[in-house]
Amino acid sequence: MKIGVIKAYMLKEFKDLIRSRMIFLVYIMPTLILVMFGYGIKLEVKHSRLIILDHDKSELSYTLINRFEHSKYFNTKVLDITENEALRMIKAAKADIILIIPQSFEKRIFHKDKTEIGAFIDGAFPLRAMTMQSYVQGVVYSMIRDLMERYHIRIKKIEINYRNLFNQSLRDENAIVPGLIGLVLLVAPAILAALLIVKEKEKGTIFNFYSSPVKKSDFLIAKLTPVFLLHSVNIFILLLWALYLFKVPFRGEFWIYWLTSEIYILISLSIGLLVSIVTNRQIVAVILTVIITVIPGFLYSGILMPISSMSKEAYIEAHLFPVMYYNHIIYDTFLIGQGFEAQKNLLYLLILIFYAALLFIIGSALLKKELK
Amino acid sequence: MRIFGTVFFKELLIFLRSIGLVAVVLYSFTIDVYIAGEGIEVKPKNVSVGYVDYSNSILPQKILSHLHPPEFKKPKPFTSQKELSQAIFNKEILVGLVFESDFEKSLLTDGKTKLNILLDSTAAAQSYITLYYLQNIVMRFVPQKEGFELKTHKLFNQNADTHMFISFSEFISVLTLIGVILSAAVFVKEKEEGTWDIMLLMPVDSKIIILAKAFSQVFIIICASILSMGYVVLTIFNTPFNGSFLDFFMLTLLYSLTLAGIGLFIASVSKDIMQVAQISILIMMPLIFLSGAWTPIYSMHPLLQKLSLLSPLRYYIEGSESVVFRGTATVDLLQYYIPLAIIGTALFIFGFKKIGRLF
Repeated sequence: MKIGVIKAYMLKEFKDLIRSRMIFLVYIMPTLILVMFGYGIKLEVKHSRLIILDHDKSELSYTLINRFEHSKYFNTKVLDITENEALRMIKAAKADIILIIPQSFEKRIFHKDKTEIGAFIDGAFPLRAMTMQSYVQGVVYSMIRDLMERYHIRIKKIEINYRNLFNQSLRDENAIVPGLIGLVLLVAPAILAALLIVKEKEKGTIFNFYSSPVKKSDFLIAKLTPVFLLHSVNIFILLLWALYLFKVPFRGEFWIYWLTSEIYILISLSIGLLVSIVTNRQIVAVILTVIITVIPGFLYSGILMPISSMSKEAYIEAHLFPVMYYNHIIYDTFLIGQGFEAQKNLLYLLILIFYAALLFIIGSALLKKELK
Repeated sequence: MRIFGTVFFKELLIFLRSIGLVAVVLYSFTIDVYIAGEGIEVKPKNVSVGYVDYSNSILPQKILSHLHPPEFKKPKPFTSQKELSQAIFNKEILVGLVFESDFEKSLLTDGKTKLNILLDSTAAAQSYITLYYLQNIVMRFVPQKEGFELKTHKLFNQNADTHMFISFSEFISVLTLIGVILSAAVFVKEKEEGTWDIMLLMPVDSKIIILAKAFSQVFIIICASILSMGYVVLTIFNTPFNGSFLDFFMLTLLYSLTLAGIGLFIASVSKDIMQVAQISILIMMPLIFLSGAWTPIYSMHPLLQKLSLLSPLRYYIEGSESVVFRGTATVDLLQYYIPLAIIGTALFIFGFKKIGRLF
């Protein structure tokens, strides 16, 4: 190992990154992804466009309409159109929900006759539809309950007393942003590491390395250290965004976050290294890296689906990817704060170290200093 | 016309010869779409439930018997609340129910009782919908006022099946990403090799070359889209196709042309593939962000709503969703056709002019 060679090589890589303005990509892309997704993914649906067809026009139906009008979740319009016209508005994406109050609704309610309100929800976007459905049910049922209480109808009831642990106000940001850090730190270093090597392959300058006395280990250190150092800064940048822009609480210890993230970056680098071995063109390297990191990064991150609720195969697959282990620790440091008092966190950290070592060894063993 | 054909087929041939690229395109349009559709599900499913029963009565068991597959896993008993919360902290359990010792008694004597629920709300979507499920179960449990009913129907997708929706969205993202990168790469590759200036200097009309190159990539994208839509989204996930296929095809064609326009622009400002990747990400992210794919447009900030009018993706997503899921008639689709055509043409002409300039 020659320190001089490594230094010169690294200096060249840094200069290259700055001159080709890749440095912007290194710092802008992770921030951009975090900000876009952090703001972009909203599970709450506000101002959904509700159309009420009131065939009853009674006091009770006006009370109901009034309740919808005062809810921030709906932009309510009461229209005097036929049901088919309303349906056509949904089809043209001009409305999301139609609520039909039948004739003599009030009368039947007070006579305890059977009656029903129909709610038709645009199901083209299933999650949005389910959320809207629960909002509609909430408004309608709470009105009926108040009505019964006003007339002193005693009913047996079970009250639900729930506590949201870790994320008391059910903020979307708290649930999503830590997971996004796990995604970004998996994708970005991998792309950069893969590109630094594949670039030389595509331009043909890799032959300098093949034919020079530079050792394989020197080459790897020189190529991967800049990526590692540059992305280590991102660990802090992303943390600052999470804390000050998204106001995610940080209940754990900082050094755990830092240490785990550094190890995680090593894993990502090694994935990039593996990609650079199988590809010869930069474009293929970019797309391949994105595909093998983004999909598991999202699927097994716990953002969309908790690991504990996965089906058997998905549960096993999730344990094969490093994302899950990292995110478990990250969510702990942000929202729970148990640290290494919980043995599971410690175990997961060891697994991450094992992953980093394994992938790096495979990668460096497969990198050949010769023409195929 | 002959020149057009030659360049067109030359590009197709080059594409087919680079096996890596073909593999990546095929993978993204088929397997990737399949994995996303199969794997991602946002409905509460298999939710792991744990409970502590201090009351030793029948009612808790009756309530628990309503928590069954596919939404819930079999509830797991714990002996103390401490153990239960430890399991929640370790993310083994998502929802914990605690029945106090006077749970059933108070219902019988006072007419009301309390059920304590602990939710791991790091998975906000699941815990929110799980809570709402539980409320419904409990509500059904105690006899309600007879007669009244709220009937909700989710049009076009009664079971809120997310597989077909997510596979379809993944298809759109893949189409956008690959579409832009392919059409930019086909020009930038020549720039990198230094042959692009020669192409423009040849006695052949450079417009024809540019058109042929751009259309060859549009053709590849359209073929891949048909494969992806026809085979993966419609066949494997059984997505009902409620509209007319011609409408969908026309929308996709217009959209691919728009993408080619963006690709041309990116190609004209970048020197190598690396820059293409950077600039495409910088351009595509806002486009996707403003498209309403994640946040419904009407929930956005009013300023962003105005800005989103410029995103071609917005029209394509709304339009194609309308065709596929809502089965919208062609007349009502004009609101997507017209802006998409305008933006597409503008972008295409702009990129076309810019790439055709020699200096």
